[in-house]
Amino acid sequence: MHVAKLSVYAIDAEKKATKEVDTPAVFSAPVRADIIQFAHTQLNKNHRQAYGRFKYASLDTTSHSWGVGRALARVPRVSGSGTARSGQAHGGNMCRGGRMFSPVRVTRRLYRKVNLPVKRYAVTSAIAATANPSFLLGRGHLVENVPQVPLILDNSVESITRTKDAIKALEMVGAYADCRKVKDTKKTRAGHGKWRNRRYKQRKGPMVVYAEDNGIARSFRNIAGVTVAKVDALNLLDLAPGGHMGRFVIWTEGAIAKLDEIYAAKMHRGISTETELKNVLENDAVKAALRAPIRTKKYFQIKRNGLKNRAFGKKLNPAMGK
Amino acid sequence: MIEGQLRQRRQERAAIAVSSKADKSAKRTIAFRNAVSYVKQYKVAEQSELRLKQQAKENGSFYVPAEAKFAFVIRIRGIVGVAPKVRKILTLLRLTRIHNGVFIKLNDATIKMIRMVEPFIAYGYPSLKMTRELIYKRGFAKVHGQRIAITDNSVIERSLGQYGIICMEDLVHEIFTCGEHFKEANNFLWPFKMNSPKGGFHKGAATTRHFNEGGESGNREHLINGLIAQML
Repeated sequence: MHVAKLSVYAIDAEKKATKEVDTPAVFSAPVRADIIQFAHTQLNKNHRQAYGRFKYASLDTTSHSWGVGRALARVPRVSGSGTARSGQAHGGNMCRGGRMFSPVRVTRRLYRKVNLPVKRYAVTSAIAATANPSFLLGRGHLVENVPQVPLILDNSVESITRTKDAIKALEMVGAYADCRKVKDTKKTRAGHGKWRNRRYKQRKGPMVVYAEDNGIARSFRNIAGVTVAKVDALNLLDLAPGGHMGRFVIWTEGAIAKLDEIYAAKMHRGISTETELKNVLENDAVKAALRAPIRTKKYFQIKRNGLKNRAFGKKLNPAMGK
Repeated sequence: MIEGQLRQRRQERAAIAVSSKADKSAKRTIAFRNAVSYVKQYKVAEQSELRLKQQAKENGSFYVPAEAKFAFVIRIRGIVGVAPKVRKILTLLRLTRIHNGVFIKLNDATIKMIRMVEPFIAYGYPSLKMTRELIYKRGFAKVHGQRIAITDNSVIERSLGQYGIICMEDLVHEIFTCGEHFKEANNFLWPFKMNSPKGGFHKGAATTRHFNEGGESGNREHLINGLIAQML
């Protein structure tokens, strides 16, 4: 899906297109669901906190097996006497109050490395996916009434300071339906996560990407489902939540303008378009970047005794023999 | 394009060659002059020694020549069963291996060190001839921590040029006359890896015994020259 120009929409009137901008090259990057998914699954693990069992589980009490001949299992039993605990089975995973099998340790490798080029590819691919309305609908965003995908708002949206005005702006461009959906889907989480500070679950709504924060971050962040992000630091985990590409992204005009600058290098990695070697070698800019050539030939010199070998001696001592 | 590059390269090289040739000839003149002046210097020194001896004889008094300023020290025992203090001192003197030789400036400190390791070394006061032979034949330089052969005066000049030592004869002179920069010149020289003495140590000698007892170790003053000649 490659359009030459995109319209920028105003936020003071309903779906009013004000001007046109060039489509940034990122939107025509190849869309690779497999790379996005791979990078997402890896990067998603990097936010985890280490967890582990008590280091001295089963080690803080002495216990020894009583051996055979006592009509008891051969499991280690708590040493000592005078308390109900003495003589009780201790330590193993099968014992009451014993440590678990293979205790979980904090040294578990929780985090995953992803190669930088792969990460970059995934992000550019995810950005390209946000420009395709099919992917957005496939992900479940309610974007039927959005005038254009990718949706670009003019820069005045960056100066909105009140959430009330932010909501109004979204309504003007038909983006608030997605947020309403998110509000409706807020539910208590099934499972123990609800007691572990993860009580509620809800869908992901639009992602608002800006270039300069003049109030936009704070006014938009509390709207249900909205993720706010600066264009310099776009996170794959936000662009493709759950590893599924096609997040509904709302760009500001300033953000769109910056996209080419940020992603040109990351996409093309400085691949030269010059085909003639001669032109590359004679180019002044190239020459200026090179260091001075090392022209001294270093040959292995055989050492001789200067006092015996006349020629060598002369080299070392010009007055030799005088 | 490639021809243009080659042409440019040829021109660059020619320019460097011209400038370096001028430098080289200037340095050779200095080296020549130095060498000639040293020859004179050595001769004068030798003759004055002789004269002083003669004078003393004539007067019926005694001439006590100046004590040696430096010595050539050779390690004559191996690395097995060496006491820790001795081991440490030998390392400090850069005598890490059997038949390694070094020049050592003689002052209170070094004399004491030498005394401590006396059973392991043979040392004495080398003559000019022996000093030259050592440096010309067995002299290697320490350049960037590497043992580099002295194949050209530039090797010397690059390390010791700042001390005014730019050629082989300057180096020999600095060592033999124990000049101001003896330390730097000596340290520039990698420890000499000597041969085992051709013809052997003298017959019936035990290296473990002191030279004075008929052995090999310790100070043998000017007789070190014989040993150096055998080990060169």
